Amino acid sequence: MNTILNNTAPAREERLKAGIAFGGTCSQLQDCISKGCLGGATRSFSQTYGCQHSLSLGILNTIRNAVVIMHSPLGCGASSVLSSGQQGAAFQKLRDPLAEGTIIINTNLDELNVINGGENNLREAILFADREFRPEIIIAIGGCVPALIGDDIDAIAAELQSCVSARILPVTCEGFKTKVMATAYDAAYNGIMKKLLGTVNRFHPLASEDYDEYQRNYVASRSVNIFNVGSMSKADETELERLLHAIGLNVTFLPCYSAPKDFSFSLENALNVSICGTHDDYFIEYLQQEYGIPFLIDTIPIGKKNTRRWVLKIAERFHLEQEAERFLDKEENLLEESLKPFRETLNGKKVYLGGGAIRIAATAEVLQDLGMQIVGLKGHHIDHFINPVLEQLTGMEDTTFHIATQQPFEQVNIVHRLKPDIIVIHSGLNNITTKYGVPILPLFGPTFHYMGYSGAFDIARRLVRKLENNQYNQNISKNLKLPYKKQWLENDPFTYIKEA
Amino acid sequence: MAEFIERPRYACALGGALSTLRAIPGAIPIIHAASGCGYNLFNATHAGSAYLGGGYCGATSLPSSNVTEREIVFGGEDRLEEEVRTTLEIMEGDLYVILSGCMVEMIGDDIDSVASKFHHENKNVIAISTPSFKGNSYYGYDLLLDGLVRNWIPHAPLRKEKAVNILGIVPGEDVFWKGNLKEIKRLLERIGIQVNTLFGEGEGLSDIKHSSQTSLNIVLSNVYGMMAAQAYEEVFGIPYVIAQFPVGYRQTEDFLRKIAELLEIPSHLLEQVLEEECRIYYDYFERFSDIYTDADLQRYAVVVADANYAPSVTRFLSDELGWIPKLTVITDILSEAQKQILEEQFEQFDSGLKIPIRFDTNTSSVRKYLKEVTEPYKNQRYYNALTPLVVVGSILEKELSASLDAPLVTISYPITNRVVLNRAYAGINGGLTLTEDLLSALVTGR
Repeated sequence: MNTILNNTAPAREERLKAGIAFGGTCSQLQDCISKGCLGGATRSFSQTYGCQHSLSLGILNTIRNAVVIMHSPLGCGASSVLSSGQQGAAFQKLRDPLAEGTIIINTNLDELNVINGGENNLREAILFADREFRPEIIIAIGGCVPALIGDDIDAIAAELQSCVSARILPVTCEGFKTKVMATAYDAAYNGIMKKLLGTVNRFHPLASEDYDEYQRNYVASRSVNIFNVGSMSKADETELERLLHAIGLNVTFLPCYSAPKDFSFSLENALNVSICGTHDDYFIEYLQQEYGIPFLIDTIPIGKKNTRRWVLKIAERFHLEQEAERFLDKEENLLEESLKPFRETLNGKKVYLGGGAIRIAATAEVLQDLGMQIVGLKGHHIDHFINPVLEQLTGMEDTTFHIATQQPFEQVNIVHRLKPDIIVIHSGLNNITTKYGVPILPLFGPTFHYMGYSGAFDIARRLVRKLENNQYNQNISKNLKLPYKKQWLENDPFTYIKEA
Repeated sequence: MAEFIERPRYACALGGALSTLRAIPGAIPIIHAASGCGYNLFNATHAGSAYLGGGYCGATSLPSSNVTEREIVFGGEDRLEEEVRTTLEIMEGDLYVILSGCMVEMIGDDIDSVASKFHHENKNVIAISTPSFKGNSYYGYDLLLDGLVRNWIPHAPLRKEKAVNILGIVPGEDVFWKGNLKEIKRLLERIGIQVNTLFGEGEGLSDIKHSSQTSLNIVLSNVYGMMAAQAYEEVFGIPYVIAQFPVGYRQTEDFLRKIAELLEIPSHLLEQVLEEECRIYYDYFERFSDIYTDADLQRYAVVVADANYAPSVTRFLSDELGWIPKLTVITDILSEAQKQILEEQFEQFDSGLKIPIRFDTNTSSVRKYLKEVTEPYKNQRYYNALTPLVVVGSILEKELSASLDAPLVTISYPITNRVVLNRAYAGINGGLTLTEDLLSALVTGR
C-alpha cells in the first residue's frame, strides 16, 4: 500500500483498523485481530486519556534546537511544563551537553480568534520564535480550534518560509480526529516527512580519494537507524547500541532527542529498525517507499527471547546470524547467572500489566522468564503489530487481555477479580492503582532501564526491591477510598464496551 | 485579539476549573471535550503544581465524553447525556459538574439542557461552561465558582456575623494554596472570625454549600476571584473586600487590621494577637540573625511571579529581609487597570526602594528587562555587578538563574523541582517558611 504524503496523517482506526475497546482472553483477542473486528468498538462510559497533540509533543518536544509553537488556546501544550522546566532539558543534555531544552510558545487563541481566525497569531509567533531564539526548526502544531475555524497551518508555513532562517515544520493534530491516541506518532512523523527529509549536506573535500568514498559507503552500509521512543532512557539506548556494536553495526537513534539534521543524515543508513510497532510503521514504510531504505518492525527488545529475536532479525539483514548467535548465547548465559538470586523471591508471583500493548506483552516475557504468572494484560490499543510479541509468551490462551486506553474504572474491576501480587503499569492512573495496595513497578521511565539484557536484569532487581518493602502502598490502600461505587466492582468489567 | 505567549505559566479555563474541582473532595468533573483535554490538563497541573497528582478522581479517572469527528459534525449532546448517565452509575461522588472544552462550545452543544435532564431524578448534576478560548486557568477558577454560586449553592436562611469566605487563591495555580489557606484561616480565627476557605484542609463540598451563610468575602488578590466575589454579591448580597495577599509579619499586620476594622473586632483582642504573633515571629528572626550577618546573606533579587506573589514577595524581600529587589516581572495576562492597581502595591515600601516593575507574559523577556535595569558590562576595570543575586520565580527561570550564577527559589507556577504538600508562603508562618527556603538556598552548598 502506497503512503501518499498529505498534510495530515490518517487516523489509525482507518489505516490499521486499530481498536480501543475489547475485553476477553488472549486467544479471543488474536481471533478478533485476524478477523479485523475490533475497529469500531467504543464505550458508553469513558475516561480521559491522551490525544493526538499530547503524544506528538512527546516526540516533538524532545527534538533539539527547536521551538515548538502550539497553535491553540492556552491549555493545549500546557503539559509541556515538565519538559520546558528541567526534565526535558536534562534528557537532551545527555545527548548534547549544549542543548537548552524545549521552548514552547502558545498562540493563545481567544474568542475573537475563534470568530476572525487565528492565522495572524501564528504568523507573529513564528516570526518571534525565529528572531528571538534562532532555532534550526520551528514546529507549528495545530490543535482542535484551528482545525474547526479552518486555519491553514501548512499554507502559513509555506508563506513564511522565505522570511525566516529556521525551517518551519507544520503538524496538524487536532485531538477530536481519532480515538486511537497513537495516531499522534503518525501526526508528528507526518510533519517530519514533509520538512526534515532532505538532501544531506555533508562537507565535501575538494579532492578525495576513491578509498574515502569506499570507506564512507562501507560504514553507511553497516549503519542502522533505531527509532527510539520518548519512554526510553539513555541507558536503554546504550544497551541496544552495545548489542548491535557487538555484531559490527553502527547505530543512530531517531527521532527523540535528535537534532533536526539527523533525519536527513539517517537517509544514508542501510536499515530502519523500529523497536515498537505502535510508533513507527507509518514513517518507516514511507522511508522505504521514497528512499528505498528497508525496514524492520518486529518485536520490542525487552526480555531475553524478544531481545534475541530482535537482534537476530537485524543480523539476518547483514548476514551476521552466526556472529550474533554466538554473542547472544554468551550474553544469555551471563544474564541467567545474574538473575539467579532474584528468582526465588519472584517465582510464582501473580502479575498484572497495563500500558502500550506491545510494551506490556514484551515486559510480560521478562516476568514469565522469572517464573512469574501473568494474570492479566491491559493494552492502550490493539492492531496486528501485537502478534510477534504475543508469540514469545507461553500458556497465555486463557489470560485476560483487555484493550483500554487508561480507563482505570475497568482496571480496578479487573484487578479486583484477578488479585495480582504485583502490578506493572503505565503512568497517569496511579492515584488509583496505588489504592489496590500491592507493589507497583512503573512500566517505563526515562530515568530507568528496561531494554536488552541489562534491562532484564534491572527489571528483576527492581521487582525484588518493590517487594522488599511495600508499606507505602499498603498504607494508602488502608486509608484512602476509590472513586468507584462498590457495586461497580461486582459488575462485568466490560459492561460499558459498545460493539460497533 | 490576544497575542501569543512564550512559555505560558497557566493552562486554559478548563484547566483552572479542573484544578479547582480537584481541590473539592467528592466533586466529580464530567468533561465534555476531546479525549486529550482532561489528561493533558492533569499533566500540566500535576507537574507544574509541584506534583499535585490526580487525588480522588483526577488524572485518567476523570469522566470525559471523548468526542470525535462524528460528534463534532452531528452534535455531542447525546454522547454527553450517555456519559452523565453512566458516570452516575459508576463514580461515587456528591456533586457532578459538567465542564466543556473548546470544540463542543464551538459547535454549540447545550450542556445546561443536558444537565437539566438529570434534575428530575434529583441528581446533583450541574453544567458550567468553560470554553478555553475565553481565558486562562485563573479565569477558569472564577468561572467555576461563578457557576457554583449561580447554579448550586443554596440561599442561606440566616447570615452569620463575623464569618468570611476566602477567595482569590487559585488551587493548582497557587502551588502552595492549601498551606496558604490554612495559615490565613488560622490568623483570622485568632481574632475571632469564622473562616471558610472553601478548598482548605478538611474542607469540602458542604463548606462550599454553606459559603452563602457568611457576611463578607475576602478576595486575597487584586486580579483573581473578582468575578466569583461579584457573583456572591449579586446572588446572595454578600459584600466583598479586596486585600493584598499577605506575606510575612508586616503585611499580615496590615491585613488583620484592615479586616478587624471592617468586622469590628475589639481592638484589645487584635492588639493582643498581633503582639503574640510578632513575638513568636521575631524569635525566629533572632535565630538566623547570626548567620544572616556573619555570612552577609543580604542579596539582590529578581522576582518573576504571578500577580498575587510578585508584589507581596517583593515587598517581603525589601521590607523584612532587607534585600534589594532589582526587578519584578509580573507574568499574568492583565488589563491596564489591573496593571495600575498592581503598580500601586509597589509604592511606599518601608525600605524606600523603588522597584522597577514589568508586565510581560513571555519568559524570555525577563533577561531583556534585566539588561535595562542594570549597568551594562563594558569591560570596565571595576564593575558593580548584580551579585550576589537570588532569582525568585518559577522553574521557567532555571536557565536564567543558571546563566546569572544565582540560586533559584521557586514560588510561582510552574514548580517542578520540588514536591509541595502543606507548605505556605502566606501570612506569618508563610514569611518564616519563605525565609527558610531563601536562606537554605544560600547555605545549601555547605
